[in-house]
Amino acid sequence: MLDLFYTPFSEFEFMQRALVGVIAIALGGGPVGVFLMLRRMSLTGDAMAHAILPGAAIGYLVAGLSLPAMTIGGLFAGVIVAVAAGLVSRFTALKEDASLAAFYLLSLALGVTIVSLRGSNVDLLHVLFGTVLALDDSTLLLLSSISTITVLALALLYRPLVLECVDPVFLRSVSRAGTPTHLIFLGLVVMNLVGGFHALGTLLAVGMMMLPAAASRFWSNDITVMMLLSVAIGIASGLSGLLLSFHAELPAGPAIILSAGAAYVLSLLLGREGGVLWLAWPGKHLEA
Amino acid sequence: MQAGSTAIRFDGVTLGYDRRPAVHHLDGEIPSGSLMAVVGPNGAGKSTLLKGIVGTLKPLDGHIRLDGSSGIAYLPQAAEIDRSFPLSVYDLVAMGLWSRSGLFGGVARRERTRIEQALAAVGLIGFERRPISTLSGGQMQRALFARLLLQDAPVILLDEPFTAIDAKTTADLLDLVRRWHDESRTVVAVLHDLDMVKRTFPQTLLIAREPVAWGETGEVLSAENLLKARRMVEAYDPHADVCHRHVA
Amino acid sequence: MPTRRAAFSLLAGCLALAASSLPAAAQNAQKLKVVATFSILGDMVRNVGGERVEVTTLVGPNGDAHVYSPTPADGRRLTEAGIVFTNGLKFEGWIDRLVKSSGTRAAKIEAAKGVKTLEGEAGGHDHGHGGSDPHAWQSIGNAKIYVANIRDALIAADEAGKATYEANAAAYLGRLDAVEAEIRGLVAGIPADRRRIITSHDAFRYFEEAYGIDFVAPQGVSTESEASAKDVARIIQQIRREKIAAVFVENVSDARLMERIAQETGARIGAKVYSDALSEPGGPAGTYIDMMRHNIRAFSAALSS
Repeated sequence: MLDLFYTPFSEFEFMQRALVGVIAIALGGGPVGVFLMLRRMSLTGDAMAHAILPGAAIGYLVAGLSLPAMTIGGLFAGVIVAVAAGLVSRFTALKEDASLAAFYLLSLALGVTIVSLRGSNVDLLHVLFGTVLALDDSTLLLLSSISTITVLALALLYRPLVLECVDPVFLRSVSRAGTPTHLIFLGLVVMNLVGGFHALGTLLAVGMMMLPAAASRFWSNDITVMMLLSVAIGIASGLSGLLLSFHAELPAGPAIILSAGAAYVLSLLLGREGGVLWLAWPGKHLEA
Repeated sequence: MQAGSTAIRFDGVTLGYDRRPAVHHLDGEIPSGSLMAVVGPNGAGKSTLLKGIVGTLKPLDGHIRLDGSSGIAYLPQAAEIDRSFPLSVYDLVAMGLWSRSGLFGGVARRERTRIEQALAAVGLIGFERRPISTLSGGQMQRALFARLLLQDAPVILLDEPFTAIDAKTTADLLDLVRRWHDESRTVVAVLHDLDMVKRTFPQTLLIAREPVAWGETGEVLSAENLLKARRMVEAYDPHADVCHRHVA
Repeated sequence: MPTRRAAFSLLAGCLALAASSLPAAAQNAQKLKVVATFSILGDMVRNVGGERVEVTTLVGPNGDAHVYSPTPADGRRLTEAGIVFTNGLKFEGWIDRLVKSSGTRAAKIEAAKGVKTLEGEAGGHDHGHGGSDPHAWQSIGNAKIYVANIRDALIAADEAGKATYEANAAAYLGRLDAVEAEIRGLVAGIPADRRRIITSHDAFRYFEEAYGIDFVAPQGVSTESEASAKDVARIIQQIRREKIAAVFVENVSDARLMERIAQETGARIGAKVYSDALSEPGGPAGTYIDMMRHNIRAFSAALSS
């Protein structure tokens, strides 16, 4: 038993680091994912992950696989796309899904072109897939900072965020906090994706954001509980994925996302709130 | 609020979308403390008018002036509320306290009492923990009125608040409206039920893109005026010229 | 009149002279155009072909031929070429399709033909090379076979240059022998129990076979496969167990993973080595010979200290 769960981490520092990294990602990504999902913006997360690419690519072009360069680049690109899409949908007839789709496709193509310019396809692979097994001190610091900022920001912005989701017209009529809240939220999404992509790559960073959140929906109707659950599921997926990678020789990043996916399917089937099993066999009806 | 002061003033106001006016050249005042109905055929610009007052729509021409910064409570038509969002009735109603607690404040005990009172006023005691997705149309409207109560605003705008609502709820909520009037608040409501207007609302604005009549309900809702309003077509003219009429 | 006739014949003579030099000029402009799939091969072809050939390389310095995506421009280069030199042994998974779609009539030559191949790495890292390890050039003995194949192909395409090609090839082979001697000398200088190296790209098996240095890798033969935690743990355990002193990164894989492994084991990170591609022309491994020399010196320096 000990050998199965504990030894891989006690014996190898890279495993400890990977776990810390994944915990940080889950801490920030889970709650953000819950809000994305409740606001019907799940695919936005995916789009934003791709939007980050040209910024990170430019950072890479300028300074190679450098953490600060690619992070700043990614943040810039993400923020620009998020703000642009948000503003376009607020002030023109085009709704957010279409404007975001347009921007992120542009972004992705731009990003791939830029990385290809510099020559090596391998680095492109690493940008796309990440290296959770190779987290150095600065990356870990970045990930922890991002999750701390995220948690603080969400605590502060909780009420306007909820309002913005449920009744944006009302919010607009009582306060001007609507648009900035939305933009700050998108900023948080970008930050968490940029952090996630250093460890898991563009494609999988979104997975850690959306899958635990989607799974948590099937267990509770309370937003706070959902957020806590999504963090727990995220951490559990990380743990499970790392152990799978260790014992079954699967590549680490995908193993983590597969674990999260399994959690989602289990929740889908067994979850108390609308899980398939409960829908199929609801039991006798109540008195009132 | 002083009696006789103006709550809302319109100066040559034209409101619309994409340069096409939905409300054309509106001049006038709504005195504070009035209980006014806004009626007119479909497409007359009634909802647009309310949106202009609240500020979500900027006038294409002219000004709308509000008395001070006293705050407005606005109930839009078929509120664009995301019913599937996991929110309890209590939390929905508690939003009305926004301006008091603002961005970060929690809900103090004194406020809790007020929320309970508001729920009682609309007959939703016992519904606190229910998710809003389980409410009927009437129950939702009651909850939204409770929220309006908590907002405690001097000006209240209601856009078709009783459409598709059952009679009992309508009666209960109308009582609330009368109570607001007794509290000297300014209430403006867009309505379709002319009998209800004649019974409850002392002032009426009859509008069909342009104001047809404005004043005492009895005078405004004459057969002649109503006919006139109906004749003013919802004129969407693809070849419309730039409007040259001057407003003083 | 005498002056006019003189002028006329002078003019005619000049013209004739000019005309006769045209074919010679045309011949000089008519270098044999060839395409090499990647930089190492391109360098060898240049050395054998000399002035008579114009070499275009598809995957340039520091590029990764395993995952290269050919562009339409590459197709065009193929159609303009007389010979296409590939490594063979399925190194370039994309070349057959490119040749077909470009419709080129160039001769397709596999430089590694006749090389005694080693099996691709077993153990789950299947990357589509179908069995043989393609990095045959890492042994000078094989490189000499490459050179011979190149020389013969050039002669077949350009009979007139036979003497030049043979001379160039012979000279180059001589230089290769010198480098090989240098390599063997340096290896001999490393204590026998220290001849073990970790590197992140398993491309040195031919080098290992020829010169006796053990290479251990955290990833499979291709850069396409991603490391699992078990792979990394295995490498770390091995480094600790066998007290391997050096870890090497080369120009086609993830330096971050190597850093992490080196940090955790206390092993030294050696200088950058080159396995699948040359460096930029002025750099430490701008030619094949420079590359081999640079690599062995780096290995030797890290292991001997």
